[in-house]
Amino acid sequence: MISSGTFHVVTTELVVGAFSVAGLSFTLCLLLHLGVLKQPSWPPVVDHVAHFTLAFGLAATPFAILSGLSSAPGEGLNSPILVNKMFLSMTGFGFALGCLVSRWRLGNKVWSTTKSAVLHSSSGLAAVGSMLLTASAGGTFARGESLLDLFHLPYEEVLLFPVFISVTGLLLGVIMLVLSWKRMNPSSSVH
Amino acid sequence: MKSRFHTVLVLSLLLVCSAFGAAEPGGNGDSIQDMQCGGACHGDASINETSSAILSLSSPSTIYVGIPTTLTLTATNLETSSTRLIGLFLLTDMTGHSDTPQDAGWEILSDANGGTMNYLEQTLTPGQNETSISWVVRASTLGSTTFYAAIHHGGGYSSPFFGTTTVGFEVSVEPVPENLPRLAADFAPPTLRMLDTPTELNIETQFTDSIQFEWKSDDGLISNSFVNSTGDNSWTTTIPAALQPTTIQWRVLLEGEGPEQTTPWFTLAAEESSWEVSENAVYLQAFALLFMTAGIVIALQTRFTSKSSPSKYDEAPLVLEELALTDTLPPSQEIATPPRPVAGLPIGWTEEQWNTHGHDYLAGKHGGGQA
Repeated sequence: MISSGTFHVVTTELVVGAFSVAGLSFTLCLLLHLGVLKQPSWPPVVDHVAHFTLAFGLAATPFAILSGLSSAPGEGLNSPILVNKMFLSMTGFGFALGCLVSRWRLGNKVWSTTKSAVLHSSSGLAAVGSMLLTASAGGTFARGESLLDLFHLPYEEVLLFPVFISVTGLLLGVIMLVLSWKRMNPSSSVH
Repeated sequence: MKSRFHTVLVLSLLLVCSAFGAAEPGGNGDSIQDMQCGGACHGDASINETSSAILSLSSPSTIYVGIPTTLTLTATNLETSSTRLIGLFLLTDMTGHSDTPQDAGWEILSDANGGTMNYLEQTLTPGQNETSISWVVRASTLGSTTFYAAIHHGGGYSSPFFGTTTVGFEVSVEPVPENLPRLAADFAPPTLRMLDTPTELNIETQFTDSIQFEWKSDDGLISNSFVNSTGDNSWTTTIPAALQPTTIQWRVLLEGEGPEQTTPWFTLAAEESSWEVSENAVYLQAFALLFMTAGIVIALQTRFTSKSSPSKYDEAPLVLEELALTDTLPPSQEIATPPRPVAGLPIGWTEEQWNTHGHDYLAGKHGGGQA
C-alpha cells in the first residue's frame, strides 16, 4: 500500500494536469467563438478536449480532497490554508459540475450565441482557476512557497460564514439546480 | 518547416526551464530523508553542482548503548543562494537508500530545530559562512557505526549544490557500566510545547538517587528548575511558559552509586497552539459553495440558451417563414380560376362561387356531382 501523502501527490497531479489542459481548451473555445481565432475546424476539437479533460479532472478531485485531508499533518482542519483549499476545491468542483451538466443537457446550443458561449467558457475557466489556486495553496502549505506567491494571496485568512448563511446558500443552490434541471427538460406541448 | 522549427524551439526552452526550476529554493522542511531526499529536494542528483562546504562530525569519546549522546555537525566555508537556506543531513550510508540513522538502529531523540529528523534546514544570517548543528541520538545495539553528513543549498543562477563529508565518522558503542546513573531506556524527551503555558516535564531514570535540572534559552544563560521526586527513579519539574515561538535546551545531572552523569542538551521548541475551527461549519459552507456555483452556472446557461434556441417541437418559425413566402408570391402565381364547364355553371352557382369553389367541384369534392 502507498501512503496517503503519495496518493495525494498522484491525484493532485492528475487534477492539475487535466484542469490545465481544460483551461487552455476553454480559452481557445472562447477565442474561436468571439472570432479572435479563425480556424473553422478547431471548435469541435477544442470543445471535446475541454469537456473531456474537465470531466477527468472532476473525477479525480474527490480523491485529491480526501487524500489531502488524511495526509495533512495533525488531525482534521488545523490550518487556515487547509480550510481555504477545501473552499476553493469545492467551488471549482461546482463550476466544473455546472459547466459539464450544461454541456451534457444543452448540447451544442451552449455555443449558439456569444453570450452563452462566453458564459460557458467562463464557467470552465473559473473551475480551472479555482483548482489551480487550490494547488497553489497546497504548495504554500507543504513547502511554504508557490508560483502564485507573487500575488500575495491571503491564504491565512478564512472567510467563514455563519451556519444559517451556509444552510441558506446550500438550499438555494439545490433549488436552482432542480429548477434548472426541469427547465432543461421541458415537457412537450405535443404530448 | 517553419512551424516545426518553432515547435522544437519551444519544447527545447521548456526542457531547459525544467532544469533551472528543479531545485526548491524555499526548502523542503525538516524531515526524515535519504541522501538527496530521494530526488524530492533538488529534483535529480545529476543537476547538482559540488558544494564547497566542509563538513565534519564529532561526538563524545565514549558512547554507551541505550544512553543518549550528541552528534554535532560543523559546516564551514558555506556559500549559499540569496535565501541563505541550507539543508543538512545526518546519514549512516552513502548509497542513497536505507541510509538514515534509523536504518542503522539509531534513534534520533532530539534535533536542533525541536524535532526528531535527520534532515534539518537552517537559514544563515547575512555574512555567516559556518554553522554547527546537533542531534541527540541513542544506539540500540553494540558495535561500530559510521556516520556521514551531507548538505544541500542553492547558489548563483539557481544552481543546486550538494556536498558530503569526505570520510565517514566512526563511533563505537560500548556496553553500559553497572549502576551508571542514566535516563530510562524508553525515556522519550518531548520536543514541542505550547506557548503561554508552563511545561511540566516528567523524567524517568535508572540507578539515580537525585537529579538537577538545567535549561537555557537562546541567550545561553543557564537556569535551574526545582525537581520533585514522584517515586523511585521518577522525577518532575516545571519549565516556565514561553511567550513567543522559540526553543530552549535542557539537560539533567544524574547522581547515584555510579559516576555522576550529565545528559546531552535536549531541544524543546515552543509553538503557537494549533488553529481551531468548527469543522461542521467548514464542510457545510464548502457544500454550499459547490451547490451554489453549480446552480448559478446551470441556471444562467439554461436562461441564455433557451432564449436563443427554440424547442424542437416549436414550428412557429417554419410557419412564419412559409407565410412570408406566400405573401411575397407574385400575382401571376396566384391560384388560377377553374375552367368553366362546357355546359355552363352548375345550376344555382354564381360566378363568384365558381371562382372560389370550382376546383373542388371539378375534383368531385363538392356536392358529389361531376361537371
